[in-house]
Amino acid sequence: MTTRAKLGYTAAGLTVFATLLVPFVLYGAFTKGFAGLGLHVDEMYSGGPKVRTIQAAGYSIDIHRPVSPHMLQHEKPFVQLDWRPVGALPPHVSDLVDVDGDGQPDIRVSFDVPKDPKAPLRVNVEPLNPRYQAMRNVGKPQFSELIVRVDDAILVRVPLAQQ
Amino acid sequence: MATQDKRLPPQPLRSVGRSLLLTLPIAVWSLLMFGHFWQPDRSAQIASVTTAVFMIALFFMMMRTSRTYRWRRWFFVALGLLFPVGFIHQVIAMRGTMGIPIEEMIAGRTPFCYIPIPMLILPAALMKTVVFPGSIRPHGGMSGGGMAAMAGIWLAMTLVIGKGWCSYACFFGGIEEGMASVPPKAKVRKIDPRWRYGPWAVLLVMVLMSLALFEPAYCMWLCPFKAVSEYVAARNTVGTVQNGIFVLLFATLVIALPLLTKKRTQCAFFCPFGAFQSIFNKTSIFDVKIDRSRCTPCVLCQKSCPTLSLTDESIVKGETLMSCMKCGACVDACPKDAAVWHIKGTEVAVKPERARLMFLYAAWAMAIMFGGSIIAEGLQTILHVFI
Repeated sequence: MTTRAKLGYTAAGLTVFATLLVPFVLYGAFTKGFAGLGLHVDEMYSGGPKVRTIQAAGYSIDIHRPVSPHMLQHEKPFVQLDWRPVGALPPHVSDLVDVDGDGQPDIRVSFDVPKDPKAPLRVNVEPLNPRYQAMRNVGKPQFSELIVRVDDAILVRVPLAQQ
Repeated sequence: MATQDKRLPPQPLRSVGRSLLLTLPIAVWSLLMFGHFWQPDRSAQIASVTTAVFMIALFFMMMRTSRTYRWRRWFFVALGLLFPVGFIHQVIAMRGTMGIPIEEMIAGRTPFCYIPIPMLILPAALMKTVVFPGSIRPHGGMSGGGMAAMAGIWLAMTLVIGKGWCSYACFFGGIEEGMASVPPKAKVRKIDPRWRYGPWAVLLVMVLMSLALFEPAYCMWLCPFKAVSEYVAARNTVGTVQNGIFVLLFATLVIALPLLTKKRTQCAFFCPFGAFQSIFNKTSIFDVKIDRSRCTPCVLCQKSCPTLSLTDESIVKGETLMSCMKCGACVDACPKDAAVWHIKGTEVAVKPERARLMFLYAAWAMAIMFGGSIIAEGLQTILHVFI
């Protein structure tokens, strides 16, 4: 038997041995390795990291970092605001929100909070700062302009005026 | 394949005792795997036992008859048919629809399969961003099967079986393989060999589109299997067009063309993941060779290959193309035993059964671990109706 053949059989034997390790060692190791790569889900989906929280009467509003579209992505830049917990929200929410943290309100956001968690949501956004775009009776037409209920929060994404 | 089997001379059978002995490691592995998935639910128990017996019996027949393809096909078709049953049941139970609502995407609960993996590599490498609305956490996603879990299982299994993934793990390919096995003869026999480049073209376009549009372009526009798994919720005209494309591609590539050609047409002409996975045929230690000293050549191997991975030129060279997914169809079809399993570095046709056994132990163990659990889940879903 040639050295190449010996190496071939050794590699084949190691492959069969590696098979035994897949469910007990390799799968977990590769899964943890992938999770540890420091990757993040595109902010168009995740909404970007939370930067600030505003306390309101019994509930809070989380403000996320503004998200900009990449290259040919057909979405507008937006900022995401989360109202939570849903159970503490009044039947009708109408809040002035200081999005950029300069002490001045930037937008007025109003929406109804139906008791049925599957009921469709609609939002109105009145801009008090030209950086933000108005929304009139908007549901969830696209990632950069919507109101949705996710778990125990109501998320509103307000499109930013294009520079 | 039924006609093909009629053409072949009967193979001498391995003795029952020896076949049982060779099956013993797989039986132990099955007990280990299905014991791992054991649940107090009675339908789950029946599904696990049935699947374990099914997988052990198929392996026993592979050992007894020295044939691979025809027995592997039973597993693969069962996997292809039962995956949608379990999956659709799961998504409907969790969210009430096969459509992915935008809320689930934002929450990172979009189920992730392996097909978009090659399309996500460039954005991940260049911007550290995953352009898929799922979860990266090991136990994230819709049911704990997030992107990390799928990437982990894909990496581990690819290390072991390489492109064999497409024959022993892919939970979509079985549908078209089942369709291809329905008619006794192919109605369309002449296929332009240039169609073989289709998967590479789709892969290239989808990789560039995913990078430019920052979205999983294949999942959004071209995946035929959205028709039997989940689809973009048709919120607007674009969504309706996308869903129309999915259904059209599924009806053409997965149903109609396999029925007409007896080939796995989606895999052979379209699947970008299959093209990407072909690269791992270069790193895998197992391959299939043609022993030139025995080859007549009758080209039965070429005719039997479901993915057109054998050409006149490759047969002359004694090789399969890199798209070979090690299904074993050519080896089973060859009346001269010239098509053989092979371990790289060893001489061709010297102890090919040893190479076959080593490959099959690895591939079948993975099939039981991954595909077996999916088959059991599908069976359990059906059993729930009755129990």
